[in-house]
Amino acid sequence: MRRLFAYLAAIVAGCALGLGSALWMAGLWPAGRSLAFGDVDVGGWRSDFAIGSKAADPYTRARVARHGLLALAKTEAVYLTRALDDAGEPLRESCTYRLTGGPMPGGWWSVTLYDSGSMLPANTDGALSIDAGRAGAGAWEAVIAARRPERAAHWISSRGAGTFDLTLRLYMPDSALLTDPNGTLDAPRIARLSCEGAS
Amino acid sequence: MRRWLGPLLALALCTAAAHALTLYLTPGVIMNRAMEALAQRGVALHRFTTPERVTPQSQSVVRSSPDLYYALCRYDLSKPGSVLDLRMGAWPDYQSLAFFDGQTDNFATLRGTGNAESVRLLPPGSAAQPGAIVSPTTKGVILIRRLAPDAARFAAAAEAGKADLCRLREA
Repeated sequence: MRRLFAYLAAIVAGCALGLGSALWMAGLWPAGRSLAFGDVDVGGWRSDFAIGSKAADPYTRARVARHGLLALAKTEAVYLTRALDDAGEPLRESCTYRLTGGPMPGGWWSVTLYDSGSMLPANTDGALSIDAGRAGAGAWEAVIAARRPERAAHWISSRGAGTFDLTLRLYMPDSALLTDPNGTLDAPRIARLSCEGAS
Repeated sequence: MRRWLGPLLALALCTAAAHALTLYLTPGVIMNRAMEALAQRGVALHRFTTPERVTPQSQSVVRSSPDLYYALCRYDLSKPGSVLDLRMGAWPDYQSLAFFDGQTDNFATLRGTGNAESVRLLPPGSAAQPGAIVSPTTKGVILIRRLAPDAARFAAAAEAGKADLCRLREA
């Protein structure tokens, strides 16, 4: 009887361990973990270029199914996500940031802010992203803050986002970006300007 | 010590099996849930649904872009001989017609900047044909993206969307 109980306990514990470890390694549990993962890291912007394809490993496939459902394969679009500022601190609603960048190696690009649930933040500010059309050619700059800044050409609202991340989309990416992302992409920088409650 | 060998082996085997099974099943489970959620939100079967502009209040899929027009069509090719006729109307900026199977894989994408595109979607196991794509699974989602970063461009994209087609033909 004790032997039977030992096997039963081993089976139940094994199933729980297997389920939990798979969800944890795929970034699905606990909830709220970042999409900033993958084998590509350009200036802290991370991606897995196998997104959308059968070539993706099972962990990437599971994570993308949850956080990036209906994402395109890399020849059509590349998605890079960043959850930390230039100092390595998590991006959060209570701080103000300056996002700066230059020309991008693709036909069109945008940077969009998402909350920890991978959704657009629940606000009505109408300032969810910056894209190639609004930024124009050459160097560009946007302020990320919970309130509209007094002087800024472009604003991305973090109101209601809590801890958030940014996704850089590059549509019709240059082929060089796919073969040499670090040598091709001048990754946007995220400088923390101030935080509420900080002295 | 030896009497624990059997239970420890069972623990290791069950952990590995549950780990692998969870990873294998997760994309399909998530896609099924997503398709049910899309159906509940009015995304039709075999018809492109006229979309709302993506806002925090209207979003239904994770990481949607507020700068794009998305038109979705769910499909089910489980009836023998069924074929899906697809057309993406012309649009002067970037647009694409993307196919996602029941495992979330993006198995085909047609880019149509400045052009209209037409194609047929065939059930799994069909022989390859010119002008047709074979779906790896019987069910999935087709998604048209159009670059439309402001309200005026979105309205124009919706007008272009009147030429879109997602229609099932049954044998």
